[in-house]
Amino acid sequence: MPIKSAFTTTIDHVSILDANANFDEKLGSGLIPDADLVRLYEHMCVCRHLDEVAFKLQRSGRMGTFPQNMGQEATSMGAAYALDKTDWLVPCYRENAGLFWRGLPMEMILLHWMGDERGNAIPRELYCMPLAIPIGTQMLHATGLAWAAKYRGEKRLACTFFGDGATSEGDFHEAMNFAANLDIPVIFFCQNNFWAISVPGKIQCSAPTVAQRAVAYGMDTIQCDGNDIFSVVYCVRKAAALAREKGRPFFIEAVTYRLGDHTTADDARRYRDQAEVDAWKTRDPIIRIRKFLTTRGLWDDTKEAALAGRAERDVAAAVERAESIAPPSRDDFFNNMFATIPPDLALQRDTMQTHGIGQDPSQIDGAVIELPAKTSH
Amino acid sequence: MAGVKQPDDKSHFILPDLGEGVHEAELIKWRVQVGDSVKEHQTMAEMETDKALVEVPSPWTGVIGELCGKAGDTILVGSVLVRYAAKGATVAATTKTVSAPAKQNTAPVTVAKTETKTDANEDAGTVVGNVSGSLGVPSQFSRQPEHESASSSTNRSLATPAVRRIAKELGVNIQQVRGTGRGGRVTASDLQAVSQGAVDVARETTASRVVMAQPINRATVNDNAVTTTSTAVSVAYPNVNREGVKECIPFRGIRRKIAQALDLSVKTAVHFTVVDSADVTKLDRKRKEYAAALGTKLSMLPFVMLAVCKALRKHPTLNANVDDANEEILIKDPIHLGCAVDTDHGLMVPVLRNAHQKNVGELASLVKELAESCKNRSVARENLVGGTFTMSNVGSYGGTFATPIINYPEVAILAVGRAKEQVLTKDGAFYAGLVLPLSLSCDHRIVDGAEGARFLNTVLGFLENPDKLLA
Repeated sequence: MPIKSAFTTTIDHVSILDANANFDEKLGSGLIPDADLVRLYEHMCVCRHLDEVAFKLQRSGRMGTFPQNMGQEATSMGAAYALDKTDWLVPCYRENAGLFWRGLPMEMILLHWMGDERGNAIPRELYCMPLAIPIGTQMLHATGLAWAAKYRGEKRLACTFFGDGATSEGDFHEAMNFAANLDIPVIFFCQNNFWAISVPGKIQCSAPTVAQRAVAYGMDTIQCDGNDIFSVVYCVRKAAALAREKGRPFFIEAVTYRLGDHTTADDARRYRDQAEVDAWKTRDPIIRIRKFLTTRGLWDDTKEAALAGRAERDVAAAVERAESIAPPSRDDFFNNMFATIPPDLALQRDTMQTHGIGQDPSQIDGAVIELPAKTSH
Repeated sequence: MAGVKQPDDKSHFILPDLGEGVHEAELIKWRVQVGDSVKEHQTMAEMETDKALVEVPSPWTGVIGELCGKAGDTILVGSVLVRYAAKGATVAATTKTVSAPAKQNTAPVTVAKTETKTDANEDAGTVVGNVSGSLGVPSQFSRQPEHESASSSTNRSLATPAVRRIAKELGVNIQQVRGTGRGGRVTASDLQAVSQGAVDVARETTASRVVMAQPINRATVNDNAVTTTSTAVSVAYPNVNREGVKECIPFRGIRRKIAQALDLSVKTAVHFTVVDSADVTKLDRKRKEYAAALGTKLSMLPFVMLAVCKALRKHPTLNANVDDANEEILIKDPIHLGCAVDTDHGLMVPVLRNAHQKNVGELASLVKELAESCKNRSVARENLVGGTFTMSNVGSYGGTFATPIINYPEVAILAVGRAKEQVLTKDGAFYAGLVLPLSLSCDHRIVDGAEGARFLNTVLGFLENPDKLLA
């Protein structure tokens, strides 16, 4: 018997506005109205400025740690723009641009990194999940959120973001398998920035594309230039259409690059070539939109200067708001996990105020006290 | 805010944690001068942490009044980096004109210290908090005490559960102890001080009678922090005459790491050295036979290593690490033999793991490989740690006897001198023999003099009876 092909596939790569601001009219025209593009550009610039300021805040002891978003603004921004306002955004921690576009106040991100839990108390109507610091957890959350939406008969989908490194985590594969086999409308949005902190992508993925990992799960996938907001919007719309019409998940690999360190606790110069970084600086997502807008007469130096001034004021005001918030009450420590606080937690909360730091008084004084009866379910 | 609170009056800037869990940073270069106006976010200094070279910006706009430190200084997180001139004051190009705020958070630390494992004792409060004032440490080492606001207003002391447990065990009423830790937390050292009667514990429970922990006798304290502190005490260094300096080499990098390790060793271990010479005439003949059989050059060292392994089996207390933090002597089963290697960048001690399972040929080739990997700096981190006994082959460079410094926390080290032909006597007759000088240093806290001498004698026995050694 001759050997036949069991399976063949191709993975498309989408690029619409390239690094030299060459524009593919056929794919790109009408994709983003001019007025929207100007607003997207402005948002990205403000986000970039916040990045620079937050970095300084950490270095002067005003913030615990901070992962710079620099260079990756187009990915989450494009996705947030392309999705409905009631679709879930389930971020990792380099999606500030998308969250701000959705309406998250900048000071909430600052509060988060200043170690204030209230930075995670995202208003319900924004349909954003808090930042996910442990690598990989959020993909399962997104799958669960989208599954819940499907169960309730809502047309809502979830879009979750993660890096190339996260695709080596077990959680990623569980989420992918679950979503593909149960027809869950979730968009897996991989920001492939080539570096899992200091581990280069090629060490942890032997395949030439990350997108191939989706093929194994029978999931539709596409690769795009993640520094091109047009490509991102194109791909996310395609994914969202499939999710809404057929309830199918979709995997997007957006090829991008983080221009800064992994976080303020990292020094990327120790493991990355400067030449590589310099090459990517020329592919900056912000620069190419500015070129595009300028050649179309939609942007000029006066507007740029005004924007710079506004970015500075807006970010300074956000920093001011974040830093002037009163310290949280000690009770907050206990109050945000459960809708109704369980008796043993309540006991800890109350004993903390009368004895030492959350300890059962019986452990401190030898006093025997009766625990409130646990409610059985 | 990374555990550091900047002053509300913006009079000075305290070095924050520049990464995650960073305790100190080396000042590489100032980017501002006294008298300069700085804007918020403007870079003031370049500093290097154990992870990264970072630029440190000013958190607010102001005029630089004083720069607390100079290039090469290691600054502890929590100490003052920069003082700002008071508003309206003119600043001369000297630091003297600045009215110094709270004296206790002056200046950086010009380090004379060892590994700052200061957080090893986090459960007992903050170590830097522990040492403040109460241990005779200069005030610049201490963080700004915050206990005024934290604990004097109420009758309740702050302490971690672990410390509360210690209080219970010691029978100390924790409410009556004034904490010296961060935020006024009561630390384990505070409790020990109180329980040892160094201070009178107030019997009343009124808030007014809080007790300040007093100096602690180092020898009685089971506390890493205190050990570290004792080595961190700053010395009044003499002014060094800088006339005729040909080259000024910054004392840092590997050189300083070596210095810190040695410093910790001599300040912690109680050294004594015992020396003897082995008649290796017969062994040298064996060595030549082995070399011919293996077809390689073969030094005396692997034979001595073999003898040491066999002797350690008879005297296991020398194959050990001492855990001073937990007051335990850890006798080790496997013999991981450290071998001091001289490299262009300084002394390194790679570890030959499971040396007791190797024969002479293996020992010879392994020690050669390790030395090479040290010299070209490709040595793996795991090959630089975990030693249980160290050997130093000083003889290959010259010298007879030595007083080797123990590779702490190991408890003994053997220096092998250069073998020389000497006139020896036996049964009243002279003969020419090859003599190998050996110098053994031990930590007297763990190894008694007699035991050290017995061990050395056992090594000698093996070296002088090759048949027993190579059996």
